[in-house]
Amino acid sequence: MVHVLKWWQTIKISWSNHTAYRMNFFLQIIGPALVFFFVKYNLWSSIYSDKSVEVIKGYTLSQMIDYHVWAMIVGLLAKGHSAMNLSEDIRLGRISSFLIYPFNFWEFHTASFLSFQILQTFIVSISICLFWSIGILSIPSMSILMTGFLYCLFVSCFWYTLQYLTGLIGFWLEETWILRVILEILTAFLSGAIIPLELYPKWFVSFLEWTPFPYLTYFPIKTFMGQNSELFTSYSVVTIWIIIFCFINHFIWKRGIRLYTGAGM
Amino acid sequence: MKKTVIYSQKLEKKFTSYKKKPGLLGSLKSLFVRDYITKKAVKDFDLDIKKGEIIGLLGPNGAGKTTLMKMFTGIVVPSQGTLKVLGYTPSERNKLFRKKIALVMGQKSQLWWDIPAMDSFLLLQRFYEIEETQFEKRIKTMSTLLDVEDLLHIHVRKLSLGERMKMELMASLIHSPEIIFLDEPTIGLDLISQENIRNFIKEYHQKNECTIIVTSHYMADVQALCERLVLIFDGDKTFDGPLSDFETILGKEKNVTFNFSSPQNTNLEVWKSYEAKWDPHHVQVDLRIPEEKLRSVALDILKEFPVTEFNTEKMPIERVMKTLMKNPQIVKQLNGKNGANVGTISTERE
Repeated sequence: MVHVLKWWQTIKISWSNHTAYRMNFFLQIIGPALVFFFVKYNLWSSIYSDKSVEVIKGYTLSQMIDYHVWAMIVGLLAKGHSAMNLSEDIRLGRISSFLIYPFNFWEFHTASFLSFQILQTFIVSISICLFWSIGILSIPSMSILMTGFLYCLFVSCFWYTLQYLTGLIGFWLEETWILRVILEILTAFLSGAIIPLELYPKWFVSFLEWTPFPYLTYFPIKTFMGQNSELFTSYSVVTIWIIIFCFINHFIWKRGIRLYTGAGM
Repeated sequence: MKKTVIYSQKLEKKFTSYKKKPGLLGSLKSLFVRDYITKKAVKDFDLDIKKGEIIGLLGPNGAGKTTLMKMFTGIVVPSQGTLKVLGYTPSERNKLFRKKIALVMGQKSQLWWDIPAMDSFLLLQRFYEIEETQFEKRIKTMSTLLDVEDLLHIHVRKLSLGERMKMELMASLIHSPEIIFLDEPTIGLDLISQENIRNFIKEYHQKNECTIIVTSHYMADVQALCERLVLIFDGDKTFDGPLSDFETILGKEKNVTFNFSSPQNTNLEVWKSYEAKWDPHHVQVDLRIPEEKLRSVALDILKEFPVTEFNTEKMPIERVMKTLMKNPQIVKQLNGKNGANVGTISTERE
């Protein structure tokens, strides 16, 4: 019970921190939507406007738009969290106080992630309603929507462990943003966030299935679209990756903390 | 015999960094070739601190004070040696250990910037598992003592430095720690705020049986708070003893200043024998008089000269510290005498 209270209070504090700046909060909702309209919607509309093109690898225009709206939703829900501050906190010695509190650094960080996810769920719900009300998103059914939500939240845990790892590298590297950018770009292309995986060669897709990438965007999108018949496999694969990354993070933290200098104090 | 709460033997911390030449070329070069330098921030450090003591850790910037504090609190891992704090090895960062210590960093805020201090306190209440009634009582007592009752619900980023520091202190003491580490708690504060913080710490120490380790560059802090001083130079412990011993480390003479109503003849024997230092108008003189002669010499001067004002030095510790920092060779002499309770060392006056 005492532990639950610790976590709950931390989640509440992080929530206040996330929503402290109103403008920032609203931009989080509007930003991705604007990108979607200006880039993806226009791009695919003009590709399909060519009369000879009606279906691309099984996607009609409305299905393609659906795919990309869901990609945006998944991006917000499963891959929204960033450990951008983590490596900076390490480098600038800001984690010192967490080494002294009787609440571990990873616990604090995870609680902060959970509160971020609650916020994202809220933002995503508004976005879905918005896109659905203007008629460019079709929702198969309520139960599929819920299944998609749950799977996305699970994937977000995996994304979190991956982000946490890139943050911990801050113990060794003075700057980790370039690593983060590489990871973002790779993920964007290999996870199906930019174009559906069906557009890649078959052999490449079967190779990708051995990596965690498709589980970050492609499978969650398919779940939202009601086309993921292998939900159990999807959950199992993500679970395995989460366990692997938790172990790596634990090991890296143990090694890294020996190098920590608590700069700036 | 009081219980030992901090014990270190041959404690050492090494840091590795690399040299980088300025400019773009330097940056490019450093990508391929790096001159690594290993610096020992703390060397062979032996220390024994008993329960209830207030210890001042003194030394110039970069001497290793903060590194020591970081090792004591478990923030950095020692490279070598033994270290026990309250019977725990700090770098293992046992949760029970963490519940018994507190660290206040004058240069770094531990409170959450975007929320009121009270919200941070509530979070800390959960972290430290403090009972509701206890928590309320402590908040009430401390906020009254520090005069910040009205500020508890204001966002931390809107507070002044002095007000924030008071909140930092409250946040660090909310769990009644057994050992409190204060790293420059009065840095950047105005004189009144400095005094408030000092008085609060003093009062808190009297009421609660805690041990306090404080570092500060303000000698007034040290003078007001510390009974015992530990001096660090370049990672070495050079002095460890009572404040009164430190004050007389450079000699038992007293510094006395006399002001006169008219210019005086500076060539008299009485001035020369006490290393007189005159102001340009010859109406003020600083003398260095042996303790045992202070009374008679002062009386003579008062009788014979038109003295308008005279006073003895308020903070000899400040002079001693300045002299040591300007003349590191004296520190070596101290070191040769094995640190603890060194006797008097003669030196030229500044």
